[in-house]
Amino acid sequence: MKDSLVLLSRILAHPDSRCWFLAWNPAGTLLASCGGDRSVRIWGREGDSWICKSVLCEGHQRTVRKVAWSPCGNYLASASFDATTCIWKKNEDDFECVTTLEGHENEVKSVAWAPSGNLLATCSRDKSVWVWEVDEEDEYECVSVLNSHTQDVKHVVWHPSQELLASASYDDTVKLYREEEDDWVCCATLEGHESTVWSLAFDPSGQRLASCSDDRTVRIWRQYLPGNEQGVACSGSEASWKCVCTLSGFHSRTIYDVAWCQLTGTLATACGDDAIRVFEEDPGSDPQQPTFSMTAHVPQAHSQDVNCVAWNPKERGLLASCSDDGELAFWKYQPSEGI
Amino acid sequence: MASPFSGALQLTDLDDFIAPSQDCIKPMKVDRRPGSGVAKIHIEDDGSYFQVSQDGGMKKLEKAKISLDDCLACSGCVTSAETVLITQQSHEELRKVLGANKTAAPDQQKLVVISVSPQSRASLAVRFQLNPTDTARKLTAFFKKIGAHYVFDTAFSRNFSLLESQWEFVRRFRGQADPEQALPVLTSACPGWICYAEKTHGSTLLPHISTARSPQQVMGSLVKDFFAQQQHLTPDKVYHATVMPCYDKKLEASRPDFFSQEHQTRDVDCVITTGEVFKLLEEEGVSLSELEPAPLDSLCSSASAQEPTSHQGGGSGGYLEHVFRHAAQELFGIHVTEVTYRPLRNKDLQEVILEREGQVLLHFAAAYGFRNIQNLVQKLKRGRCPYHYVEVMACPAGCLNGGGQLKAPDMPGKELLQQVERLYGLVRTEAPEDAPGSRSCMALAAGCRLGAGWPPAAHQLPRCGEGWLWTQYQVVEASRVQPVHCHQHQDS
Repeated sequence: MKDSLVLLSRILAHPDSRCWFLAWNPAGTLLASCGGDRSVRIWGREGDSWICKSVLCEGHQRTVRKVAWSPCGNYLASASFDATTCIWKKNEDDFECVTTLEGHENEVKSVAWAPSGNLLATCSRDKSVWVWEVDEEDEYECVSVLNSHTQDVKHVVWHPSQELLASASYDDTVKLYREEEDDWVCCATLEGHESTVWSLAFDPSGQRLASCSDDRTVRIWRQYLPGNEQGVACSGSEASWKCVCTLSGFHSRTIYDVAWCQLTGTLATACGDDAIRVFEEDPGSDPQQPTFSMTAHVPQAHSQDVNCVAWNPKERGLLASCSDDGELAFWKYQPSEGI
Repeated sequence: MASPFSGALQLTDLDDFIAPSQDCIKPMKVDRRPGSGVAKIHIEDDGSYFQVSQDGGMKKLEKAKISLDDCLACSGCVTSAETVLITQQSHEELRKVLGANKTAAPDQQKLVVISVSPQSRASLAVRFQLNPTDTARKLTAFFKKIGAHYVFDTAFSRNFSLLESQWEFVRRFRGQADPEQALPVLTSACPGWICYAEKTHGSTLLPHISTARSPQQVMGSLVKDFFAQQQHLTPDKVYHATVMPCYDKKLEASRPDFFSQEHQTRDVDCVITTGEVFKLLEEEGVSLSELEPAPLDSLCSSASAQEPTSHQGGGSGGYLEHVFRHAAQELFGIHVTEVTYRPLRNKDLQEVILEREGQVLLHFAAAYGFRNIQNLVQKLKRGRCPYHYVEVMACPAGCLNGGGQLKAPDMPGKELLQQVERLYGLVRTEAPEDAPGSRSCMALAAGCRLGAGWPPAAHQLPRCGEGWLWTQYQVVEASRVQPVHCHQHQDS
């Protein structure tokens, strides 16, 4: 089982600093990394190795915590502890900061682009989630300020096909939001985790959401629409979400990130015990009570906390990870036959 | 959770109130003396704190005090204890004063004046299912029953706030104002907005903010100055309480600019919310509908209307509407019969345009709620704001939806708001220039040289410092004090 996740290469991406997050562009050809050194780096493949194609270092005054590519691949957003979010426009190998989104009171923890490309979400230690709209002239306006969480909001992620937004918080909950008339509203609160929820990932269909937490579990939530066959209660016309699986006992420390491969449905986790783990849903598992098995575990994937794992959107089995030790690593995952 | 104070303060499901901030804004002066080294803190039996320096010397430490002004200015403070915020200004405080007045010696008694906002009245009208006139009369009866001497309507002082806003805009547009004051002009009647502006974007926004006083504060001047004089009293012998639709008005009343050093008295001594009036009624065991209506009081004896009056232009005072009409007439000779509002990206953002032969002469907007304020501020910062005048309100849907308005447990927020809007709109409106009593009031109170003309020409108006129509603002620096109960990692 250990052999199914093989190290391809390791790079010191952010020397003397933490590497906080990674994002593959939609084409799978570039990887953006960001770190405590206040920079964003763009990595591209040259033969068998990955080289740094650009360094975006003039955008932020403090740690860059997350980066996200627009669905078209022409823009990159970077969320920083300096309370701003920069929008960079790609021009060949150059990136130019076209605008800076201000408004959050303190550290911006995450940024995510909606599948339509017209909306952006940010979240912050100020407990709020903001939805922004971008127009044809690359002008960004705040569409909604959501104050549903009672603590620091760590992560935001959009549904793969709908305009449904999810957020994870230090208040131990996951919240979902959708548009209603001319504003956004919180349409569901997922309770169950016993500590900070650090990250989220939707499955390829968008019907399930994975969350990972400081309580050392990964939870899988499933959406039930009103009138569903399983008889899961819904409030009015609102969908409800139920926790259908909890992966516990696998991680010995906080789980900082979870990634759900959009090609294969495989799950990967980034853990505070320096390890990377991979899980697959068991064949024939009941959709209402799915079961997952751990199919790979690399105990010393990095020399410190693993902060992020990211599946390449085009190349099966290609996984990138990064750590507090400043390193970025590439892995090849090969599911073993006959499971 | 979104409103500045915890508790059930939201009228509707709208979630766009300015949320509590993270940093305490109390500007703290830290006296740092070089070479003082490390000191120990010793607590005496009586609870006082002494600093024991390395040579054994003891120095009593002053308790850090956070006054109501500082506290409310922050809209979210170190302790987050509501009791800290509200005890000094509340219906209990009003009760205490009324109680003390009953038993006080004649020369210690105060003249108690209560000014009621039309928005609070509309909220009460809906709750008790009364029309606005009956609500006004019964409220007058109630307050007098518990010890008030006069009950006024802030729609009266709003006339002056509107007039001043109209004149101020024309001055600025013509470039006749202080060169520091730029276009667009942003209204300042909303203290929630003003506190946010001063604290967050001070230097960018201050040059734009209207210096006209809000209706509450104009009423404060009228009551403590003009009315007190009429009653042959010094200002400190008048106790002035107002009834407002939100908590931020308490903050506005606490501003140092509205404190008279000479008489050691505030223009407005106490602000109570609509909800607190309801509590007072409950405590007295009185239902507003059952009271016998009393005749309405008026500040100027020449005005003896027995019906309240109001202004056009919505439930937040009508600033955009009045300034627009006046500017169209004064600047371009255009008489506007009906102001057409065009909704923009959401219902809390609207614009009004004056055009002539395809050219835009005036471009005004109304921006309510945090997200619209954000976008407005960002546009201003980038020099991309197309407006000449913006009516800014912190609460989505404006003052009728203020955090202190009454809730109806059995009615959805939207429906309740519609009812309050309807009842508010039932009151007959009047242009400020035509309001009976404003003329004589102005002449008597302002000390300005009016002569025969009405309304006064711009140069005849009292300047800032002459008191009662104008005020000023300042940038507030945050002290970055971290909340004491912060456990979490700062850096992840």
